Amino acid sequence: MKKKVIVACGGAVATSTIAANKVVELCKKNGIDVEICQVRINEIESNLPGTSLIVTTSKVKRDYGVPLITGMPFISGVGVEKTEAAILKVLKED
Amino acid sequence: MGFLNACAFVITYIIDMGASVMLPIIIAILSICIGVKPGKAIRAGLMIGVGFVGMGLIVDMMNANMGPAAQAMAERLGVSLSIVEVGWPGMSGITWGSVVATIAIPLAIVVNLIMFATKLTRTINIDIWNVWHIAFTGAIAYAVTGKLWIGLLGVVFHSAITYKLGDLWAPLLSDYFGMDGLTAPHGASAYMAPVACAVDALIDKIPGLNKINISVERLQERIGVLGEPVVIGAILGTIIGFLAGYDPQGALPLGIKMAGVMVLMPRMIKCIMDGLLPISERAKEIMHSRFSEGENFHIGLDPALLLGDSEVVTAGILFIPITLIIAILMPGNRILPFGDLATIGFFIAIAVAVHKGNLFRTLISGSCIMIMTIWITNQTVPWTTALAVSVGALEEGGTLAAMDQGGCPLTYIFTQIFTQENIPGLIVIAAIYAVCMAFAVRHSKARAAEIAAEEAEA
Repeated sequence: MKKKVIVACGGAVATSTIAANKVVELCKKNGIDVEICQVRINEIESNLPGTSLIVTTSKVKRDYGVPLITGMPFISGVGVEKTEAAILKVLKED
Repeated sequence: MGFLNACAFVITYIIDMGASVMLPIIIAILSICIGVKPGKAIRAGLMIGVGFVGMGLIVDMMNANMGPAAQAMAERLGVSLSIVEVGWPGMSGITWGSVVATIAIPLAIVVNLIMFATKLTRTINIDIWNVWHIAFTGAIAYAVTGKLWIGLLGVVFHSAITYKLGDLWAPLLSDYFGMDGLTAPHGASAYMAPVACAVDALIDKIPGLNKINISVERLQERIGVLGEPVVIGAILGTIIGFLAGYDPQGALPLGIKMAGVMVLMPRMIKCIMDGLLPISERAKEIMHSRFSEGENFHIGLDPALLLGDSEVVTAGILFIPITLIIAILMPGNRILPFGDLATIGFFIAIAVAVHKGNLFRTLISGSCIMIMTIWITNQTVPWTTALAVSVGALEEGGTLAAMDQGGCPLTYIFTQIFTQENIPGLIVIAAIYAVCMAFAVRHSKARAAEIAAEEAEA
């Protein structure tokens, strides 16, 4: 089944494109079928239905009731492996 | 000679076809040069062309529909707001269309490496997308003066200050946003935050005011979809339609079209980012290879990272109406804020950190920031228009404005030095900005000292 992943940042242009690209590559490598929904942070709520995971490039404290992982390492290049492992764990579980 | 002439002919021929052809070629060649496979490189180039075409469509639609409505509204109400601003999505796309922007990528990296090697900065910028802010100063100066060397000097000028701003804000990113080792040197939040530092110091001196601390939590959850770009666009478009004297049959379609602009513009601009991705990733690798772990440096990243903070989100929502009110009240203002409204947080994100999340102070300094922004944006309309026309994003006779970057004091000061159209304006804005910068340096040092003291305790 296709997993829906919301990738969000401030403007839905720059950092979320980088993060979305990384998530797609990661899932392809691990045989997970994903659908990416790239939005601005303030559009997350409206796109929630059916979402398995939210990846944001900024720190979001709000609880959406869906696992949320900070994708900042994809942007800074520091700690990428840990983030990738965390994303795979969520997507492989449910 | 024959060969050189032929080369010159080919280059002019390509340039004459406009940015949507020239850019894909340049980006594809540049991508291949840095080691991207030809197939991927060509796709990257084409995506940039697509982004450029898409942006042109949206800007045209916006000007064709919103333009006359804004003018009709201005005439009926006796206000002067007749130029609908396109915001950073439109402005960034147009800037990437300038030949200066492509040169700006390597140039900004070289300036960064030189400044880092000579210890003039501790910031290592790995954010290639936001080089458009740096390129903007060069592109504007080039479009206005017609001299390429002034454009390139503008890139050097703006990039040098950008890295210094990165140094200034690093302590604030660490203690307020909790992002150790990172900084956000780019865009309106970085270059306008010095204003917040001056306001913060002033409020500290005023008895009574210096005790006020407001914090509004969960405003976003309460207002729900009202804060979403699609809804903001629809409401604003419809209201302006009615104010322009349209009947519902005219006003409602305008609302839907403006909702479309808000939603579609970033989607189009995202194509440009897609095309820049190979170059951006490679540049990141180059920068990473230049410094070793443990060395004292800050990684320069996109200010978009700050827009998730709940206080920034709250202030961002409040500043939608505040910005519109400022635009209406400011005497002689012609700018109708629109394209930047949904992401107005970009202007005040670092200001929020300057005030440590105190909303009361953010409201005051943010208002100062928006006043200064709109003031400068009014003066740069001929420049942003000239740039948009020169890259083919706007037809001759149209006007184009953007608060994000059109209202940048750095661009204004630099370009004004060469055009000397408004010397009093130059002196006043340069003086205000210099004073704010002095406060910014003081503020940054104080915050760095606080962090050092805390670490010493622990």
